[in-house]
Amino acid sequence: VKASVPVNKLAAGCIFALIAAIAVLPQTSHEQSTATKPAPEDIAPVRVIADPYPAFNGIAVDGANGLVAMSDPNRKSLLLYDRALGATQGEASVPMRQIVGPDTFLGMIAGIILDPRHEEIYAANNDIEDTVVVMPYAVSGNVKPGRVFSVPHQAWGLALSGENDQIAVTVEVQNTIVFYRRQVKGVEAPVRIIRGRATGLADPHGIYWDESHNEIGVANHGNFRGVVSNTGGGCTPSFVVENQAEAGESLPPSIRIFSATAKDDAKPLRVIEGPKSGLDWPMGVAYDPQHDTIAVANNGDSSILIFDRNSNGDVRPLTVIRGKRTGITRPMGIAVDSQHGEIWVSNWGDHSAIAFDSGAHGNAAPKRIIRSAPAGTATPGFGNPMALAYDTKRDQLLVPN
Amino acid sequence: VTQPRIAVFARLANGEAAPTRLITGQNTLLGRTIHGLAYDPAHDEIVAPNALADAVLVFRGAATGSEHPLRVIQGPHTHLVTPHAVSLDVQNREILVASLTGKRINVFRWDANGDATPVRVIEGPKTGLGHVVGLAVDPERNLLAVANSQDILIFNRTDDGDIAPRARIAGPQTGITDEPWQMEFYRGHIFLAASNHLHQNLYDGVTLKPGMNDVPDDPWLNPVLGFVGVWNITDNGNVAPLAMIRGPFSGLIHPVGLALNPRAGEIYVSDSVRNGVLTFLVPQFLQQDSRLSNSNTSSNTNSNTHSNNGLAK
Repeated sequence: VKASVPVNKLAAGCIFALIAAIAVLPQTSHEQSTATKPAPEDIAPVRVIADPYPAFNGIAVDGANGLVAMSDPNRKSLLLYDRALGATQGEASVPMRQIVGPDTFLGMIAGIILDPRHEEIYAANNDIEDTVVVMPYAVSGNVKPGRVFSVPHQAWGLALSGENDQIAVTVEVQNTIVFYRRQVKGVEAPVRIIRGRATGLADPHGIYWDESHNEIGVANHGNFRGVVSNTGGGCTPSFVVENQAEAGESLPPSIRIFSATAKDDAKPLRVIEGPKSGLDWPMGVAYDPQHDTIAVANNGDSSILIFDRNSNGDVRPLTVIRGKRTGITRPMGIAVDSQHGEIWVSNWGDHSAIAFDSGAHGNAAPKRIIRSAPAGTATPGFGNPMALAYDTKRDQLLVPN
Repeated sequence: VTQPRIAVFARLANGEAAPTRLITGQNTLLGRTIHGLAYDPAHDEIVAPNALADAVLVFRGAATGSEHPLRVIQGPHTHLVTPHAVSLDVQNREILVASLTGKRINVFRWDANGDATPVRVIEGPKTGLGHVVGLAVDPERNLLAVANSQDILIFNRTDDGDIAPRARIAGPQTGITDEPWQMEFYRGHIFLAASNHLHQNLYDGVTLKPGMNDVPDDPWLNPVLGFVGVWNITDNGNVAPLAMIRGPFSGLIHPVGLALNPRAGEIYVSDSVRNGVLTFLVPQFLQQDSRLSNSNTSSNTNSNTHSNNGLAK
């Protein structure tokens, strides 16, 4: 049973109604028809599967400024919420601000970070745009970014170091971490990269920068096709033929910890990998300075794994947060608010982000829940579906992300 | 891409529907960049590519959860290089694989497994292959249609090596600009999701290409709308589609995925900008008729004519 919507939630309802309209109605901004009736080929669909609500991928928290922010690749927006907010009756939460619209340059965004010192939001366009968008904290609606910079195709995770004045970006297909100066704008070459066989990087995703120990940690899915010289620029039509790829491999997932000043084909300082680790498509990772631990959004089995920072090899996590009460469902992002002793998790499996006490373990209930849709709303979960198949036996549609 | 997975929906699902099951998790060996997917009704199997691990994965049709593939085609003898799209030739029991950066098409037996050698590979400068995505076989005429960088190439089905295509559908009348995507064949016709979406990347690997000075405009705001187009597989040259789905009421912006259900008269299309799946009820598109068109009054003004009476070459 869906809860009734309180009056103070109407603002959120209006926002989402607009988003829903954008999602459900045909978009006419490209080529407006001037005809009074549709052209013969302008055939309306009889059914549309789409999610009218924001879906959370990345998450970042700024305890000092009381903000938690999420990237939304579904409706292509950034949402900022009061970190102390909690939807307790199942209704959608009211964001403080939503950045959405064609001027924003936001697309299939993945990783997100906040820079409290400069009050900036960074979001990585993982696909299509191949950029990182930088927005000031205070903006809302359809605004141009404060800065945009180009990155290699398939950028996923972001990490920032104020001390080094650099930003690190993971690149999936390149098995690489690229570093830029913090104030990068437009088209600039990276200042350094970590890349090569010795790194063990394989389809890297989330990344954290632990300035207190001068370390960087990276989550890897294990997909590996060699450190190839040319990947054809993603989808760019190119007639450069690449024949030099090494044979593909499906390697175990891992967390690899490097020196924060590493470059080129550097070996990791430590590697968490193996069946005891329980790693299963690790997505976001975060360092918790309060407990000197590494927190992992373990997407494959809907859990949060907490490892000792010095873990190395096939080791068990110190703690696992998992179970029905936790509300963790296909987690993508994770962020630590050490100021308030909390761990935030963004769920791809429903429309929620949840906060735990940073000492939580087992089947613990979250302290607070932020929802982008009313509880129980169905979640299609699309993430740029670029193919389809029809199962004639079961009368079903197969939709990959 | 967010969470790598294959989501299964009831055909009649509509609106904010949840999938009835998911194939997802580390054991599946799935990754991002699934640009082509196929269901094999003869063996009740699902075939998916993993471009980031140079692999082709075959699942049982009822696979669910973190289920390991039945078969994995992967290894140095496969010659797979960024295999991002797969298709099936059910009649000839073959898996066709489009390589994004190898500019090639690898063909495997349907039951290939492990470090298997392809039975045929189409590659080389004569082929004209570039950004290969959709592949569709006409088993009756023994033809292979290929959605290429800015065109549709037609090869003989059994071509092998550096062979020039026998026909090329390209030009302004076709409506195809950039990156034609998934493709299906049915009763003499090619069905194409023409994305008309240009994705520019400033990097070659992790190195900036020379002369790249500005961040390109957002490609999702490309004003050239994509469409679904239908051609005879025997067409050649600057040929307008026999029929199309296009325009503001269609909701299509940059369509990419495409699947057919002739029995229900439906075409399924995914759109990367809409981030959704749209169903079009168009039984008139799925008939064997050389006069197929959007309306009886529509006409093709192209100089090249459609051919349905035999091979164009």
